[in-house]
Amino acid sequence: MALKALDIYKLLPKKNCKECGDQTCLTFAMKLAQGKGEPDACPYLDDNAKAVLGASTRPPIQKITIGMGSRAFTVGEEFVFYRHEKTYYHQPGIVYLISDMDTEESIREVARQVRENCLTRIGIDLLLNGVAVRADSGSGEQFSRAVRIVSEGGDLPLVLIAPDPAVMEKALEICGNYAPVIGPVTPDNVTEFCEFARKYGVTLVLKGDDLPGLATLSEKCLSQKVQNLMLDLSGSSGRYVREATLTRQLALSREVTAFGYPVFMDASESGLSGVVTGIAKFASVIVTPPLQKPEMDAALVMRQNIYTDPQKPIQITPGLYRIGTPGKDDLVFLTVNFSLTYFTLQGYLEATRRSCWLLIVDTEGMSVLTAVAAGKLNEFVIKDAITLFKLADEVNHKTLIIPGYASPLSGRIEEVSGWNVIVGPRDAAEIASFIEEELKV
Amino acid sequence: MNYTYSPGWTTAVREVIIGATPDEGGTRRISYRIGGEQDLPFIGSSGHKPLIAFEICDDPAIWPEVVRCACTKLIDRPADWAAYADTVLRADLIRINLTSTKRRNFSDFDGVIKTVKSILAATSLPLLIEGSADLEIDSEVYQRCGEAGQGERLVLGTAEAARYRSVAAAAIAYGHCVIAQSPIDVNLAKQLNILLREAGVADDRIIIDPYTGALGYGFEYTYSTMERIRFAALKGDMDLAMPLISAPSDSLTVKEVRESVYSHEAAIAWEVATSVAAALAGAVILVVRHPGSVPPLKEAIDTLWTEKEGV
Amino acid sequence: MVSVDEAVSAGIKKIATEIEAITSLSGYPETAYHLPITYAISGKAVSDAASAKKVYLDTNRSPLIGNEILVAAGDRTEDPPYTGFIEDSIIRKLGYSLVDGSILGLALIVGNPEKADHAAAICRELQEKLMLTFLAGGVIRSLTGAGVKVGLELRLVPLGKTSLKAVHFTDILARVAMMFGGVAPGDAHRLVSYAADRAKAFVIVFPGMTEEEIACIDALRVLGIPVLHMGGYEGGNFIRVALPDAVRTGMEMRGIRVQVTAIPIPMACSPAFEGKAIRKEEMYAEFGGTRSPAFELLRTADQKEVTDGKVTVIGPEIDQIPEKSAAPLGIIVEVTGKAMKKEYEPVLERRIHNFINYGEGTWHSAQRDLIWVRISREAVSQGIKIEHLGKLLAAKFRMDFPTLVDAVQVTLITDPERIIGERKKAEAVYQERDERIAGMKDSDVDLYYSCTLCQTFAPNHVCVITPERPALCGALTWLDGRTAYEMSPAGANQPIGRGTVINADTGEFEGVNRFVRQASHGEIERCVLYSIMDAPMTCCGCFEAVAMILPETNGIMIVTREYKGVTPSGMTFSTLAGTIGGGAQTPGFIGISKGYILSDRFIQAEGGLSRIVWMPSVLKEELGNRLSEKIQAAGLLGFYEKIADETITTDIEGLLTFLTSVDHPALNMPPLF
Repeated sequence: MALKALDIYKLLPKKNCKECGDQTCLTFAMKLAQGKGEPDACPYLDDNAKAVLGASTRPPIQKITIGMGSRAFTVGEEFVFYRHEKTYYHQPGIVYLISDMDTEESIREVARQVRENCLTRIGIDLLLNGVAVRADSGSGEQFSRAVRIVSEGGDLPLVLIAPDPAVMEKALEICGNYAPVIGPVTPDNVTEFCEFARKYGVTLVLKGDDLPGLATLSEKCLSQKVQNLMLDLSGSSGRYVREATLTRQLALSREVTAFGYPVFMDASESGLSGVVTGIAKFASVIVTPPLQKPEMDAALVMRQNIYTDPQKPIQITPGLYRIGTPGKDDLVFLTVNFSLTYFTLQGYLEATRRSCWLLIVDTEGMSVLTAVAAGKLNEFVIKDAITLFKLADEVNHKTLIIPGYASPLSGRIEEVSGWNVIVGPRDAAEIASFIEEELKV
Repeated sequence: MNYTYSPGWTTAVREVIIGATPDEGGTRRISYRIGGEQDLPFIGSSGHKPLIAFEICDDPAIWPEVVRCACTKLIDRPADWAAYADTVLRADLIRINLTSTKRRNFSDFDGVIKTVKSILAATSLPLLIEGSADLEIDSEVYQRCGEAGQGERLVLGTAEAARYRSVAAAAIAYGHCVIAQSPIDVNLAKQLNILLREAGVADDRIIIDPYTGALGYGFEYTYSTMERIRFAALKGDMDLAMPLISAPSDSLTVKEVRESVYSHEAAIAWEVATSVAAALAGAVILVVRHPGSVPPLKEAIDTLWTEKEGV
Repeated sequence: MVSVDEAVSAGIKKIATEIEAITSLSGYPETAYHLPITYAISGKAVSDAASAKKVYLDTNRSPLIGNEILVAAGDRTEDPPYTGFIEDSIIRKLGYSLVDGSILGLALIVGNPEKADHAAAICRELQEKLMLTFLAGGVIRSLTGAGVKVGLELRLVPLGKTSLKAVHFTDILARVAMMFGGVAPGDAHRLVSYAADRAKAFVIVFPGMTEEEIACIDALRVLGIPVLHMGGYEGGNFIRVALPDAVRTGMEMRGIRVQVTAIPIPMACSPAFEGKAIRKEEMYAEFGGTRSPAFELLRTADQKEVTDGKVTVIGPEIDQIPEKSAAPLGIIVEVTGKAMKKEYEPVLERRIHNFINYGEGTWHSAQRDLIWVRISREAVSQGIKIEHLGKLLAAKFRMDFPTLVDAVQVTLITDPERIIGERKKAEAVYQERDERIAGMKDSDVDLYYSCTLCQTFAPNHVCVITPERPALCGALTWLDGRTAYEMSPAGANQPIGRGTVINADTGEFEGVNRFVRQASHGEIERCVLYSIMDAPMTCCGCFEAVAMILPETNGIMIVTREYKGVTPSGMTFSTLAGTIGGGAQTPGFIGISKGYILSDRFIQAEGGLSRIVWMPSVLKEELGNRLSEKIQAAGLLGFYEKIADETITTDIEGLLTFLTSVDHPALNMPPLF
């Protein structure tokens, strides 16, 4: 259980020395309670306080960065079981799997896909994250050949799968300094792999026969001062869900610190549904053979959805949007920049098969009802948006249709902006009948 | 050493029985129990495997284009379509969406009931009926549907806070179950269940539909609402301890599917991905429309279920 | 004139004698409920004369059962248009219409009306009000003779030639209770409560019934069904009504309400117009707003004093009011309803503001005797009068509060002399209301109310609203919570039984803990109402103010939403709000309403008011005299001046210096932790 601000405050020196950068010890305590600060920022902590705070403010799941450069990605450092409790912070990397037996051409093609595939939604680029190379040949040369091909760009994070330390070492000579993830680490090879970890700073993927076996491995690595670990919970989706759930619960409750590491999942067997399972249920690296484009898109969008901060709704960039090919006489609808509101309204407007304008104003992602209540949607915001997005240049009328829930603002909007206001329906589903019956256009 | 973790669950989700065999007063070859879970989805030994419903309609004009293309020969023959979903696709359930009632000035009540009866004759799987969505005609539509399926333990949809009385009345009068749909909000879901109870619907006849937003367009709200409903139920909130249904049909009409050059593959991928996530969040009836979605979804649910403790 | 009492006792005896005489019993066709009334009350499936007689005796010679047996034993053939016994499948449809709301209730008309048009008028009214009416006896001939068409599809069901066939009305009720109410056969208790609560029915009797018939009709009272008559009977429990009132009285007694759907005025009314202001140049006339005396008052009145929809204008109408002038306006809304309570008055009264703003050409602002109303020139040109404000209000109250309000009448006063006196009376009511809530203590009530409206964004937040601790948003008092619950029992405000007192000083109650645990979906174990340190209430994000401890001072500071600057805690309101909001429970921090600061229960667990060391000057001024009074009452001489504000200091060191210099009491109180 995480400590509350006051519990932390009791451990602080209570000097209000401001050396941590905060005005008071209580402010600092509140930051620590939220996981937003480092206990080390306080120069006066005693050992006991350090131990308690270190353990309780440190994320219950280790943070790990995979790869180097612009495509590197970070996983772990999660605090909650359900996304609605706060949010999931670090989305899983989706990594395409190749075999070292594949032809050079096909390896290159997969690497290209990972590098170039990009789905842009709501102004965000959704990307694949890396390539996993599996040593099916059993030969160090063959394995390092494949790794070399993938490493050519020097940009893609790598997962190296070879249980034989001798084979693995060949690949590490090529890419060991680029923070790859390597495995599977078993009781048979743990000593050698720990050495790799110390030498190259790579992350180890631990594979036990069962959860106790996995915990033993994890403890063993920690005893050898290796802390960048991942837990391989690959198996049938059913077993995966049960083990991932249990390890997450035990890690968050800090009952079993050996499980306080990100989860690795090989979804080769289960395809898209396995990838989705991993996304929903706590995986941090998901390995899959290349997916078809539609499946890949679905997976990327699912990941974006699940890892959206529930308290910070996805926002649409404010602006003047076109539905169809609107002209100077067409209707202008206004709404907020909460993505769900925008998409819903956009869908219903498109369904009317008539062109129109959609003016999106900045309400910090709040829905109409909340934005009105919180004063984020007000006559001034609307007036500014009309000016900023040059609405008057695009249409030759001065009439805005506002959402039904914004009706209390209608008078003030007219007064401040000089535009006429028509109050539309509360529910976007009624927009077609509204246009037909109320506007009679 | 075996690890365990106790989240402090106190309550099981209610069991709801859908469909009725001849022994149970109906004519279905099978009836299902859904719900009954005492833990999170796919955890522990309690509960029943999620079911896949294939949804058809009686007026394809408003059906997603990609599905119309995939079911060309069947699209105007709901009874054959239902038989196909049963025998070829091997869905667990059939849902007939009476889209014809959603046309303006609809009045062909006899036609609709003929369709319902023909489907009941064409398949012996339990049936879900999605009726009208207009207060003006609800009363007649649900009364007639309820009567036509008397004894079959249909699942009638959809009750909403603003119009639930007819669905409720048909369920009570003719012994069916009700789908209670609320707009992605745990408290509204709870309120609707209370309203239905006050109207006389028994708690074990209610299935919650928290509404499934399209993948990429609000699905995350649905996902969390489902998790919250399930969490609340396990923690003892009996007003939310009903099984969940998810119909990701909105995902079939999003831009990414509509405009995809591989529209069938896209439809299947989006429907399956959404359904699997919904199942992981707690949905136990998954309603799909694309015929290609049934096999991969079945396989996915089988894998999630197979190694379940005690099963 | 027939004496009901005498007829009933004679009728009961006659039934008993007739039952003796029966030798055979032919059951009813097409029913799974045997003799339905007998089956419902006794649980016995009667099939022959002997078993029937036994049940009759076992049920203490119930006239309902006796009558059913006699009808089932006698000649059951009925010629058209009579329906006789109605089979189950049709009852299922009728029951369906009752649950689904397309039938609002059931009426039974029996006897022989002297004038056919009396019965016809009653039937027409029942049809218009969506009632399903059953007819038995001479009334049917009388109606058909007068050209009234009868039949199930017309919602006028002719059961049989004699009033005794009213038994089928009762067997329908019994079957509906078993089919729809889950009433088990033989569970007479549940049957009675189902009939009373769900199957809303009443009987209208005309003269000319036999003693047995009177006995059977009278027996319906056990099912909570009132019997109304317009003359010809005396005594007993038959209720005398005037002919034009019969249907209305019956419906009111059973709480059957017809929904109002249209507002009969020449002006559009919709929430869409709510925000529309009427500028001076658009205005025809205005009322109040310090330019002329005005007020609004909503009060409950006795049912007899209220005629639904009646609007009275005392003083000049709009055409006698000069354009562009300011005229007086008193708005008195009188409502009546069985569920209406005095406590709801202020809540409903606040709706006058919304409703008048719904009018396209009417505008309203402020409340009570501060109201300001405008009517646009355009509206007046379309025929809007003062009277229409009343029509609008009467219709909207009926529409929006159908379960609360049965009838509304409105009086509008534009007479410059009359308004002065009426306004005085209204002001007395306002004062009385203020005192009522002001005087209420948490210990005066057993039920508190929850608010979970904010769970949409703060999933586990539960506000507990007590008389002395308003909702932390400041928008809901305990009375509002109760009203909201009673008006919408499935809504976001639920009653919380306080339960066993765990600690009266800190405000910990077993019932509150249990409720919060459940409503927070298991996340919050305890909620101590008057404490800031020990399991304080969660915070959603809507709080008017934040109270937080300043450990260095052994006291607390309060900061409100309006104050944008930094506070001695080193944080601004918005930083603080972001940290403690979202439904979390954070010891040392609470979100509060401003009103709670003035409550005797304000952080009572930690010592209350005297813990306050700092608040922004804007809050200090707002609380002003009320705070001074509290301070005085608490005997904290000179304490007002000991509370620092931003003009004195905004940092912790400055605050400590100040507190020491004024010898702030918090410095010497028991340590907070």
